Amino acid sequence: MAENAVQRETVLSLRETIAQIENRRLAGVVKTVKAADPAGFRRRQEGTQSSGRKVLPLGIPELDAILEGGLPLEGMTEIRNSETRDAGAAAGFATALSALCQQARQQKGDPAAPVLWISQSLASTEAGLPYGLGLKAYGLDIRSLILSLPRTVKDALWIAETALSVSAFCAVILEIRGNPASLALSESRRLHVRARAGRIPLLLLRQSGHEEASSAFVRLHIEPAPARERPLPDGSMLCGSIGHPVFHVIAEKSRSPAPVGLFLEWNPHDRRFYPVEPLPAAAAADPQPAHSVAGLSASSGRPGGAEPLGHLLAFPRAS
Amino acid sequence: MRLVALDGLAEKTGFQLGQGVAEARAMCPEVDVLPADRAADRALLEGLADWCSRYTPLVALDGETGLYLDITGCAHLLGGEKSLLDDLLARLFHLGIEARAAISSSAGLSWAVARFGAQGVIAPEEAACLLAPLPMAALRLPADMIETLGRVGLKQVGDIIEAPRAPLARRFGSMLLLRLDQAMGLEDEPLSPRLPVASLSAERRLSEPVQGEADILGLTQELAARLKPELEKRGEGGRLFELLLFRVDGRVFRIAAGTSSPLIDPDRIAGLFRERLQAVHDDLDAGFGFEILRLSVPKSEKYEVMQEDFSGTPDRQRPLAAFADRVMARLGAESLFLPVLSESHVPERAAVFQPLADVGMLKTAEEGACSVPASLLAAFVRPQRLFQSPEPVEAVAEVPEGPPRSFRWRRSLHRIARAEGPERIAAEWWVDGEKAAERDYFRVEDERGRRFWLFREGHYGGPTQPRWFMHGVFA
Repeated sequence: MAENAVQRETVLSLRETIAQIENRRLAGVVKTVKAADPAGFRRRQEGTQSSGRKVLPLGIPELDAILEGGLPLEGMTEIRNSETRDAGAAAGFATALSALCQQARQQKGDPAAPVLWISQSLASTEAGLPYGLGLKAYGLDIRSLILSLPRTVKDALWIAETALSVSAFCAVILEIRGNPASLALSESRRLHVRARAGRIPLLLLRQSGHEEASSAFVRLHIEPAPARERPLPDGSMLCGSIGHPVFHVIAEKSRSPAPVGLFLEWNPHDRRFYPVEPLPAAAAADPQPAHSVAGLSASSGRPGGAEPLGHLLAFPRAS
Repeated sequence: MRLVALDGLAEKTGFQLGQGVAEARAMCPEVDVLPADRAADRALLEGLADWCSRYTPLVALDGETGLYLDITGCAHLLGGEKSLLDDLLARLFHLGIEARAAISSSAGLSWAVARFGAQGVIAPEEAACLLAPLPMAALRLPADMIETLGRVGLKQVGDIIEAPRAPLARRFGSMLLLRLDQAMGLEDEPLSPRLPVASLSAERRLSEPVQGEADILGLTQELAARLKPELEKRGEGGRLFELLLFRVDGRVFRIAAGTSSPLIDPDRIAGLFRERLQAVHDDLDAGFGFEILRLSVPKSEKYEVMQEDFSGTPDRQRPLAAFADRVMARLGAESLFLPVLSESHVPERAAVFQPLADVGMLKTAEEGACSVPASLLAAFVRPQRLFQSPEPVEAVAEVPEGPPRSFRWRRSLHRIARAEGPERIAAEWWVDGEKAAERDYFRVEDERGRRFWLFREGHYGGPTQPRWFMHGVFA
């Protein structure tokens, strides 16, 4: 009987450790904090806060449900887009999130915390450099934006790690192109633990990359979606105009998966997201695009391409 | 081919400078002739000048063959002038370099005695009697003047020391007397040191050379701790630190580390050099070890000692400065950028990135209002990402001056669902010239909802065919 109790105690404490690693609360588990933490993770201080993790609610119930309360303010969140030409949307989504972090800091009366944008030079050459005027109009306070353009992924990771170890930034965006081998599961684990220890939100912006196992809380796949029209003062819409940006957000990795995804509109003036209904045209065009060259690029610069000369014939069998 | 330099044995054999190589070979068939490499000679001389900075910080190059060392106030550190000279010559001998040196109260006298007379320390009153038997060339005169002087029988310096000055000046110009006075120590001669002298430096001489990175960093921290009281006394912090590593075989490495704000903390100074050593890792060959380490502060600024306030929020600039210093020490000064807006209509000039040189720049950016008014920003739509150089696209427009119907960018076709524009941006004639074409920008959205910023350069019916470019991507 006594042995049983000891075993149960061990199981409970293991569960507690797993819960801490996964950063969630176990309902009904007795808080038995063991003396040493073998994994070396930061223990939650008793009595500081009840929820255990700091989040920034985004004001949209569906999105907050996916994110379990809001954007995690300590730890890594991965944002991914599948094609280079969608990089604007993913970067815009990450910028919007960091603008929200900035705003939250400002509301706490702490205006000086800058945002660090680390963009590996390959990523910024392919998809364009962040543009100050555009970002300013987008709601980001560019007076406290620092950009870094490291040459290699290794340098980018080193800068990110250094930035996470000083408590100077309110958000760090790490932009990487593709799925480099130097940013695998163990490296992402390391960044995630650093971000949690440094209490800084790290947004890993994976440009035109595939799904890959990582230690991020959530991985969001961002696709662009047709914008709404601009509203006119009398309430009607200006026909044919392009309004605020709309994103199609699909949670690829989350504890409460939503495979359909959400359509969100970012309003730079209000600095918040609004849910929007998908346009019927966009929904219809989504599964089967009308034109054939949507997903893959053609193999040459010209449509069609030259026909191969002659015919391919099978030789007669020799034996 | 002619001889441009001779070693001691060659001089004894009787070769002359400027002699043809063929003639020299005829005189002595087994002569070893090496092609002259002036760049390598120069590099060796500069390396030696670096090495000589172990005696004094004021080292000046003298043409291609000599060095001046200003040892004012330094000689006592090595036990006097005589022992300094002996130490210098002994060390150079062990490095395999034949050198001649003299110490005197004027640069000209040292030059003359080291090249033409006996070496050693010369007292000021001996100047005249030492100079007298030396040839005219000892006065650093141009060759044609020496020849002219020789023609009238003035072959030794002693011939003109006692001679009346006025006729000499009239006949040979003021140069002759100037050089004579400089050699006699009557005229002052400024030496221009090769490198600026650091305002502060600390040095550690080791009896046992060190090789390991940890040892170097530990010693750097110790040196920085020795600099700290002096910096505090001056109320300054270093903006640039330089670590000199003297290798036992005479090579000197200079490693500089800049900071983004004045710095006095020894731990952070050592931290900077930790990143620098990582960065220069392959170039820094420790060989048999370093025997002298010197940390100097070539550039310093006023350091404001700040007290923590009671608000409980720590100062944000300090960790930020530490971060910026570490990144720039490792990856170079051009690794962190700040966006800067400027008054220009051309999009790529309106917002640029400036290297972050000073963390104070962030602070001033906060205080100073943005030069572009907010109303201007609201009126125009600008993309969130901009291509450094616009990428050409093949676009098809329905009407010549209208928005495109479809375009092909990076080999894939985009059909445009909606378009806004045009916004015409004329070229800035004061930069681009008067003939630069204006651009018509369109904000377009394709059928999948991607938003792009396209422009047409030039217009239909103009001197050149209009071309379409992709300039940016919207969120």
